[in-house]
Amino acid sequence: MAAHTEHHLPHPTPKQYVQIALFLAVLTAIEVLLYYVEQGVDAIGTSVTAPMLILLALIKFFIVVAWYMHLRFEKAIMTKFFVAGAILALVLYAATLIALGAIAIGA
Amino acid sequence: MATTTDARPVARTIFRRPAGHTGFWSWITTTDHKKIGIMYGYTAFVFFILGGLEALVLRIQLAVPENTFLSAAEYNAMFTMHGTTMIFLFVMPVSAAFFNYLLPLMIGARDVAFPRMNAVSFWIFFFGGVFLYTSFIFGTTGPPEGGFAAEVSRLGTAPNGGWFGYAPNSGAQFSTGTVLDYWSLGLQILGLASLISSVNFIVTVFNMRAKGMSLLRMPVFVWMTTVVAFLLLFSIPIIAVALFMITFDRQFGTLFFDAAAGGDPVLWQHLFWLFGHPEVYILILPAMGIVSEVLPTFSRKPLFGYPAVVFAGAAIGFMGFGVWAHHMFSSGVTPITQAAFGLSTMAIAIPTGIKIFNWLGTMWGGRITLNTPMLFSIGFVAMFVIGGLSGVTHAVVPADWQQTDTYYIVAHFHYVLFGGAIFGLFSGLYYWFPLLTGRMYNETLGKIHFWILMLGFNMTFAPMHWLGLNGMVRRTWVYANEAELAQWNMVVTVGAFIIAVGVAVFMANWMYSKRNGPKAGMDPWDARTLEWTIPGPTPNYNFGVNPVVTSLDDFWHKKYSEDSEGRPVRRPEADTLLAELEETGLNPPAPIHLPAPSYYPFMVGVAIPIMGYGVIYKDQAFGIPLALVGMLILVGSFAGWGVEPLELDEDHEEGDHA
Amino acid sequence: MADIAHVDGPTDEDGPVDDNHDNGHGDEHGGHGDHESTGTDNRKLGMWVFLSSEFMFFGALISNYLLFKGRDFTGFDRITLIYPIELYDIPFTSISSFVLLMSSLTMVLAHDALASGDQNRTRVWLAATGMLGMVFVGGQFFEFSEFIHEGMTISSNPAASAFYMLTGFHGAHVFIGILMLLSLWGISRRQGGLTEDQGLNLELVGLYWHFVDIIWIVIFTIVYLIP
Repeated sequence: MAAHTEHHLPHPTPKQYVQIALFLAVLTAIEVLLYYVEQGVDAIGTSVTAPMLILLALIKFFIVVAWYMHLRFEKAIMTKFFVAGAILALVLYAATLIALGAIAIGA
Repeated sequence: MATTTDARPVARTIFRRPAGHTGFWSWITTTDHKKIGIMYGYTAFVFFILGGLEALVLRIQLAVPENTFLSAAEYNAMFTMHGTTMIFLFVMPVSAAFFNYLLPLMIGARDVAFPRMNAVSFWIFFFGGVFLYTSFIFGTTGPPEGGFAAEVSRLGTAPNGGWFGYAPNSGAQFSTGTVLDYWSLGLQILGLASLISSVNFIVTVFNMRAKGMSLLRMPVFVWMTTVVAFLLLFSIPIIAVALFMITFDRQFGTLFFDAAAGGDPVLWQHLFWLFGHPEVYILILPAMGIVSEVLPTFSRKPLFGYPAVVFAGAAIGFMGFGVWAHHMFSSGVTPITQAAFGLSTMAIAIPTGIKIFNWLGTMWGGRITLNTPMLFSIGFVAMFVIGGLSGVTHAVVPADWQQTDTYYIVAHFHYVLFGGAIFGLFSGLYYWFPLLTGRMYNETLGKIHFWILMLGFNMTFAPMHWLGLNGMVRRTWVYANEAELAQWNMVVTVGAFIIAVGVAVFMANWMYSKRNGPKAGMDPWDARTLEWTIPGPTPNYNFGVNPVVTSLDDFWHKKYSEDSEGRPVRRPEADTLLAELEETGLNPPAPIHLPAPSYYPFMVGVAIPIMGYGVIYKDQAFGIPLALVGMLILVGSFAGWGVEPLELDEDHEEGDHA
Repeated sequence: MADIAHVDGPTDEDGPVDDNHDNGHGDEHGGHGDHESTGTDNRKLGMWVFLSSEFMFFGALISNYLLFKGRDFTGFDRITLIYPIELYDIPFTSISSFVLLMSSLTMVLAHDALASGDQNRTRVWLAATGMLGMVFVGGQFFEFSEFIHEGMTISSNPAASAFYMLTGFHGAHVFIGILMLLSLWGISRRQGGLTEDQGLNLELVGLYWHFVDIIWIVIFTIVYLIP
């Protein structure tokens, strides 16, 4: 009985992988740029750049997971496990940081 | 000897690949989930005795006021080790014994997803427990005096910071010596074993069920195992980080919990209880699963509201992540934090209550057999309700301010953990005894065990409710000579010794009956689930032919149909079915491949504590070399494991891993 | 336990006869993937399950850092009042981040090469990934030594402890990944190529590697770029 990997799942081509990498590199460059803008320009503070930086990081995160880790082509259950872990971590640690006073929400 | 194939190399081994399935070495090298389960069970039981002895020593000290049987320091070590042992070295591994033995059988599989990883979980646990207990010999509670040799020759005490190891007490400043390094590293090792198991069980449940067994046709025990696996999966990493942090604080000079240096001791509490609360659901859910199997069998009725019980179990697991700060109501958290967690703690009583009512509903109208497993399961329901009720009172925050750190809390958790988890586990041990051994235990002794335990257990822990409310504090080696406290403490101590008698009866029954008990035959309980479709003792390969199921409790439905009033009616073909199952069970029609034994899991288990010793003694001459030796064995074992095929027969291409 | 003659051992001459084509261990490859199996190989499912637990691990370390990074340690004992944020060399770390990001590209190209059957190219990309990983780890070492040189050690203050712990454990994860990559490369060289089954292992190492990369994406943003 032959072992088999999932031949039938679609794969991006090497060219597409490189394009994705370039896109990620551009996003990284934008992130670094935002950092320097915040440092250099008085009018723009972290309350402006921080959400943008987080958003950019999330986009990179999502792209690597979906395409490089192939998650968007896999069975849904793996996405469910993966997302469950991420959300659980986010919620629990946010609650802990709030309880410790590190994040101020008036609590 | 391995045969070569086209793309696969011959695995050259330094030692001959073990191949036997019997004999001493077959246990060391086994990858069979049943043998692994048995080893977990016996090892856990040895630790149960040790933890019990620690409890008895504590109770001797507390039998009379202001006793001098133990010093304060010794008392601290005893209650720490009692708790640590019972939780990490008894209840968790004995649950693992059940998961290991039964999970594949209940889903109709031949083994778990990763047999060698399964073995490594056991050996990591085994040597981790041994490592922790060597603290009794090698542990120190003060700065080294007279050099290392002098230190070792003194009988050290054991870890003494409580099973919860609160910082800053557990830090380098307040706990000099090595005992808390044994504790933090020991727990780290044990946690690793559980984490590896959890991945194994999740993949097994999701990928290896018998044909026709959808998730909602799995036995409740399998569901509870799955929920526990997820709880472990997500909570062990938290305690791992916390233990790394305290180890680094102690060994490498980090300042996480050092309040004088700006660290935050309350952070320890958060991280510990983020793990610690899911942990207690890890402790109780397996027993709930067992009870959900035993009650239907001996009521001759299906479990009442199976989907509700499953959903409630999952809900308890999920919500269990949201209540942790109820252990911290008096630690200085804000009022909003207290209110939020008080609320969530009350909410978690709801799914628990659902289960209780479903268990009662299962028994209602059934034809009850009050044998030993049934008595323990009913006992579970009753005792757990008591423990749950006191638990709900803790959820009321101002009330908890009075209750916390008193014996009222001790009463609560012993009712749920002993009256709950341990009673449930005993129920399971009796229930599956015939499957494990092919023989029947002695029913009279079993009942004697149960009633002695009911008496002793309630004598021990019921008085703790009012002792606590009358002001007796926890974790203190003496109490003042006040009338109420003294007489009830004596009652508690007597009760503890009665428990010991009950356990002794159990042990005698077990050891005698497994060799000399009457043969049990096929399906001695006329049960409902797949593990009973094979003869006991379970054959190596589990099922002669892979089962196919078409419903929940498929085996039961093959034996019984229902009359117009829903009562079971035995089918005429039931006996033939049993005979056929026994025949194919003992004489499978085709040869069956099993995962081959392996040395490497054992070696990994040995290597890790060696590294632990290296860390503890890193400032001694032999410390770093020891750590390196451990690492070498570890890396070598991984390398060997990686190239070793899963099965001996290499005509198959798969099986390179796990 | 019954000792059953039919169980295969190394001297069994009968050869395999598998009545239900499951090799005695269930449908581990998830062939049909409906009710009783996910349809994904055990090992792959196992890796995804494990990686989801790593969120809890790194989440704790990141939270730790977030807790301490803004605290004022003036006046506490045994403190060196240097915060990680004062010492960051953003250009340097940006390049490090870019290196790790590119290693994810080379990793996925290795996987693709193997799927196409080109064993040589697979080895090339595996080696490239390993080397980029080593550059990253080297960069971490260099960064740490610079920080220590400037007076911030693991014992300087809790924020420093948290910084080193977080980035240190991440680096350790990268290091383990490098070991696995080199092992695959070495096995491929020794055998003349990886079998299909070993190809799954490459995919698993890839998943692990990408995960370590995405954790760095989070760390780089939260720890370095957001003051």
